[in-house]
Amino acid sequence: MSATLVQVIVGGLLLGAIYALFSSGLTLIWGMMNVVNFAHGDFVMVAMYIAYVVYVLLGGGPLASVPIAAVSLATIGILAYFLLVRHVMRGPMIAQILGTFGLALLLRYSMFGAAGANFLSLPDNLVGGTYEIFGIRLQASRVVAGIVALLVTAGLHLLLTRTSLGSKMLAVSEDATAAQLMGIRPDYMQAIAWGIAAGATGIAGALIATFFYISPTVGETLAIIAFVTVALGGFGSVPGALVAGLLIGLIESLSAYWIGGVWKDVVVYILFIFVLWFRPQGLMGKS
Amino acid sequence: MKKLLWPGITAVLLLAYPLVFTTPFQQRLGALVLLYAIAASAWNIVGGYAGQISVGHVVFFGCGAYASLALFTHTGLPPVLGMPLGIAAAVGIAAIIGTPTLRLSGHYFSMATIAVAELARLVTTNTEFLGAAVGLSGPTVPRTWLDLSFISSVPYYYLFLAVLVITLGITWWMERSRIGFYLRAIRDSEKAARSLGARAPRVKLIAYLLSAGLTSVAGSLYALMFQFVDPESGLGILISVKMLIMAALGGAGLLFGPLVGAAILVPLEEISNSLLGGRGAGLTFVLYGAIIVLIARFRPDGILGLFQSARKAPEKHDA
Amino acid sequence: MMKRSPWAALAVASLLAAGLSGGAFAQQTVKIGAIYPLSGNAASAGTSAKAAIELAVDIINNDHPELGDITLAKGTGLPNLKGAKVEVVFADNQGTPAAGQNQALRLITEEKVVALHGAYQSGITTTASAIAERYGIPFMTGESVAANLTERGFKWFFRTTPIASDIADVYVSFLKEMKAKGMKIDNLVIVNENTEYGTSIAKVVGDTAKAGGFNVSMVIPYSANTTDVQSQVLQLKDAKPDAAIFISYTSDAILFTKTMQALGYKPPILIGDNSGFSDASYLRTVGPIAQGVINRSAWDIGKPGSPTFLINEMYKKKTGNDLDDTSGRVMQGFLALAEAVNRAGSTEPAKLQAALKATDLKPNQLMMGYKGIKFDAKGQNILASAMLIQAQGDQYVAVWPKESATAELKLPYKAWEK
Repeated sequence: MSATLVQVIVGGLLLGAIYALFSSGLTLIWGMMNVVNFAHGDFVMVAMYIAYVVYVLLGGGPLASVPIAAVSLATIGILAYFLLVRHVMRGPMIAQILGTFGLALLLRYSMFGAAGANFLSLPDNLVGGTYEIFGIRLQASRVVAGIVALLVTAGLHLLLTRTSLGSKMLAVSEDATAAQLMGIRPDYMQAIAWGIAAGATGIAGALIATFFYISPTVGETLAIIAFVTVALGGFGSVPGALVAGLLIGLIESLSAYWIGGVWKDVVVYILFIFVLWFRPQGLMGKS
Repeated sequence: MKKLLWPGITAVLLLAYPLVFTTPFQQRLGALVLLYAIAASAWNIVGGYAGQISVGHVVFFGCGAYASLALFTHTGLPPVLGMPLGIAAAVGIAAIIGTPTLRLSGHYFSMATIAVAELARLVTTNTEFLGAAVGLSGPTVPRTWLDLSFISSVPYYYLFLAVLVITLGITWWMERSRIGFYLRAIRDSEKAARSLGARAPRVKLIAYLLSAGLTSVAGSLYALMFQFVDPESGLGILISVKMLIMAALGGAGLLFGPLVGAAILVPLEEISNSLLGGRGAGLTFVLYGAIIVLIARFRPDGILGLFQSARKAPEKHDA
Repeated sequence: MMKRSPWAALAVASLLAAGLSGGAFAQQTVKIGAIYPLSGNAASAGTSAKAAIELAVDIINNDHPELGDITLAKGTGLPNLKGAKVEVVFADNQGTPAAGQNQALRLITEEKVVALHGAYQSGITTTASAIAERYGIPFMTGESVAANLTERGFKWFFRTTPIASDIADVYVSFLKEMKAKGMKIDNLVIVNENTEYGTSIAKVVGDTAKAGGFNVSMVIPYSANTTDVQSQVLQLKDAKPDAAIFISYTSDAILFTKTMQALGYKPPILIGDNSGFSDASYLRTVGPIAQGVINRSAWDIGKPGSPTFLINEMYKKKTGNDLDDTSGRVMQGFLALAEAVNRAGSTEPAKLQAALKATDLKPNQLMMGYKGIKFDAKGQNILASAMLIQAQGDQYVAVWPKESATAELKLPYKAWEK
């Protein structure tokens, strides 16, 4: 195997971990509440701008921007739940798309009005630099994002499977009425789920900002990949999103290298449709 | 008699609009409302009545737009003759992708349709025959009246109105037929529908094919009016989303829902763009987004949804 | 209630539509419409173009003797129209051909503009200019480069910018000259985004380079607005080109530059074709790691005190950025349009059209480095040309051809190295 091919594979896996990172919040809400958040990409975008503002105002790197973005986004998530999502859920499934798509436009163009259309970027040396190990070049910012992706996935998974908060949240998602009889308040649990999911999205955005460009429309670029990642992994399956993210990153890298950059997404979509054909519940979703 | 009163008034208003509002921009606005109403009504058959929320309907829209302009580009025939080709292509594609995807439940179906639409966009972008990234243009100067290329929007307005009437007529007929009954049953609960004797996959597929063919007609009409299509304007995901939100905003699964949605959103977008767009701070979309959010917040069933919920119990989302 | 809703909604829509009718027409101004992407993915470029046109209007309407021979800089307003002021009505094309055409119709019929300028994306220029053609209103583009725009047999369409063939000639003559000077330049690689802009320029540049005796060993197209370009950079690294030519919009140009640094690869010569590499955001975000990138341009800030330098100062004061080439071409197109309106001495369409056809501007009357502005029968400026500029420090400086150079060309490409 040539050194370049190894580089392609390593790069693809790191990219995949980042896809998994910014999809984890989406899968949580999707699985918990059967709600599809069309504003997800724009949540990531807001977190990226927060990272930029933290850098410009406080001179802070990710150690400052990640917690600030996580807390801010968690707040936005909880507000979005109480002000919009809770009411929209009374309507048909399509109302969620309507409401969250409106929210996406609102966030995107409010940011546009506040920050302008210009592209921004954080300095490259904010997170280490680039290291060469056995001829493979690793960008510290991407490695950090990859490691955090694993930690966030593990954290969310443990939260859902090993804590009482997690079991309460799952109880609500299984049967809200029964959960209520057991003394669990469904809307609190769902608000907490939105807070956690948006907080994880905040972490993702602040980290992605360290190596990606920042613009008001960047969420659009990222959102479709997040949808495909989550559906491929299986709605609600946090480990599924990780596996799917890694798979998509790897396939994108390899197909771009072997077949060409314009075909990489074609390969991903064909694979996605193919998987759904045989496993309509995604790779790791419950049937 | 009373039953026909309001549809009658609506019909008179629609017929009279271009005679009352006579500036070219107002007339074009009216034509655009009808064009989007056709697309959203076509979407409504499968997305509203059958509850299968397609976010990839632009594939069929693209079939119509591309068939019309590709026919003109390669043979010189008037674009309008591409309409039947577009319908055939859309129905064919719907048959191929409908069989596997309609089995998927809820959001999986939505995501699969997004993937199919993006696939179509990417493949078209790399296909010379379809103009690749540059896109296809119609006749720059009309050669005969058959090119249906007019300076005024009024001929388009009445053409679109006629097609809308046909689309709504088909929908109305379907709504009252056995298929419509089964579709509503499937939307509310697929299991229950099966026990009623509905062959769910077949019924859903029929609705899907019908919806695809009508959406393709909207695409052809778009191509006639704008005489240009490229991958983003003919196959971009935003068009799918627009069909969906117009239907949802007016009331998905209701005959006049998409028309009401289009009558609100199209003028809102065009007029706010005209008044605010030139300032360049994205105000148009802040306003647009805010209004969608407010309607979703206070009328999740859509503007016409109130009387629907009186007719039947609010549906549950099946997981 | 239930049956009232559709009717009420329609009535609201009608009222909204009615609110638009009419439109006051002030006597002392000449209205020109400008259609640009002020929202959506290309909004960064559209916003800069808007600022450039506003500056052009300032130059026309106010007295600017310091700008020398630049058209309409001296004196106020349009002298042949009794000093009438130019007023620009901006419209947002939202990045869609449909919105572009709708707005063109509105500007012509509601705002009663005498001419249109725009619309950045070539596809939108196609649909917007079709409306102008039907209404018999001049449409000028200072920036859309798609070849087919001037091949449609339009009588009201004019274009000042150089197009793909002019651009390819600049690159190939430059590379030939470098080769003659003893640099090893045989193997070229073209990296292009796959929308209309990237595809068409890549094709013409590739063909011209082959005809010029170069070996184009690889063309790497990629999807615009992509999330990742590592594989493309590695393909480029494998191909070991002597020079790489990039045709990219801003987001991808930034991503490529960052990824090339991360993967530790830089070709000996890196040419970025205008667009993304010209956007003020590019140098501001990745300038320090893109030192020595060569860019095609017709814009040069020039020596302190020169008209172009002063124009740049005015632009900088307004926006905080240096004027970039794309916005400069927009501004030049607009100035040429205003000059024709003034020369026509009338806002009558036929007279405007005749004046545009008779346009004959000399280099000293232009802010851009064209050899002049003179339209052929198809409306294309036959004197359009470009030069090469290079990123040195925090700005681009003119380096080729020698007669227009203001700084020394520095090769090989240094990128992030000091």
